[in-house]
Amino acid sequence: MTTSIKIPAPLRKLTGNQAVVETEAETLIDLISDLDKKYPGIKERIYDGKEIRRFINVFVNGEDVRFKDGIKTKITKGSEVSIVPAIAGG
Amino acid sequence: MQANLNRYSRQILFSEIGEQGQRKLRDSKVVLAGCGALGTVIANSLVRAGIGELKIIDRDFVELNNLQRQILFDEEDVKRNIPKAIAAVEKLKKINSQVKLEAVVADVNFTNVEALVEGAKLLVDGTDNFEVRFLLNDACVKADIPWIYGSCVGSYGLTMNIIPGKTPCFRCLFETAPLPGMAPTCDTAGVINPIVNIIAAIETAEAIKYLTGKFEALNKDLITIDIWEGSFEKFNIADRRDKFDCPCCKQRKFEFLEAKQGSSITSLCGRNAVQITQKSIGRVDFQELAERLKKSGEVTFNKYLLKFSIDQYEISLFPDSRAIIKGTNDFSVARGLYAKYIGT
Repeated sequence: MTTSIKIPAPLRKLTGNQAVVETEAETLIDLISDLDKKYPGIKERIYDGKEIRRFINVFVNGEDVRFKDGIKTKITKGSEVSIVPAIAGG
Repeated sequence: MQANLNRYSRQILFSEIGEQGQRKLRDSKVVLAGCGALGTVIANSLVRAGIGELKIIDRDFVELNNLQRQILFDEEDVKRNIPKAIAAVEKLKKINSQVKLEAVVADVNFTNVEALVEGAKLLVDGTDNFEVRFLLNDACVKADIPWIYGSCVGSYGLTMNIIPGKTPCFRCLFETAPLPGMAPTCDTAGVINPIVNIIAAIETAEAIKYLTGKFEALNKDLITIDIWEGSFEKFNIADRRDKFDCPCCKQRKFEFLEAKQGSSITSLCGRNAVQITQKSIGRVDFQELAERLKKSGEVTFNKYLLKFSIDQYEISLFPDSRAIIKGTNDFSVARGLYAKYIGT
């Protein structure tokens, strides 16, 4: 089963400009590792080795993963995964 | 309707504002931090809408590459080489002489931020770096002043409202700044003016709602927009306030105000250079940063040092994110260069 992950513009350099990527992962951490296999370097940008980096927010179906099961949050088919990085320009 | 409210007749006809709302706007003092892309659009709109007082804080001067998106400036301002806050106030006076305007040409830091926001009914964010936002967040939460965060890069932007005691604060969402060099900035990844306008428009709308007392209409979510692909998303962040033990708004530890977080800056005497040291140490990925910087200036690096030349300045960056900026003794110029090109 596959889930679509929307990659926000500031991280798209790492995905060769792909805006949406597919994964078959069933948890958030597997999803991040799977992404990193396809697009090396993206894991480090999102994940600090223990948790989602503190300047990145990840929502699964609109819910903040920090208050679900963190990196172990389940991803089911059709889930919408959104990554929201902090940005500074203005 | 009072004669001096006539100019706002179309806004007063809008039933959510009305004459009462217009009077509330007129009685409001707003502080605008940062007068670049977002800041000029916000200042223009708030002054036209008839707020009572606007204090504009900015540390930069007008440059030619600002004119593509910074709507209050023109070629004459570039030739005159004047500070943005001053140029903005000059224009805004011609737009609406009823508004009391104040220009502050200053670098916002832990020594002055509390005094700069004092007395504001609301602060609106037009800044361009994380450090100043953490400082503003600390100062506003401490003094119970609501503020509106907005930021954009490329075609992508974010905004949220921070109402102390009612919503999550900036640190609830972004507990730390990204590692230096990791996040794109407008000076490394570019920015197009439509995303500036839309983020600034949302910030302005939220400001008008707040200042006219329409609290129930305020946005409670984190909004993300990508104007190139036409996406608009809202994320419910209400949980953050209840479930996260935020160092700032829950524990009331104002680490940026106390300079326990953020950067420190020292002048390297006699060298026409300034050193910036980050307190939260992060390793810089030179490869990635060099890739980004090579479009803007000359860049070389090895294992120990990255050197980047832009205009008359040279930035030497160490892997622990410490930087020496040559070509200036001015702290605000040095901080500006660090924020623009290294990004924090």
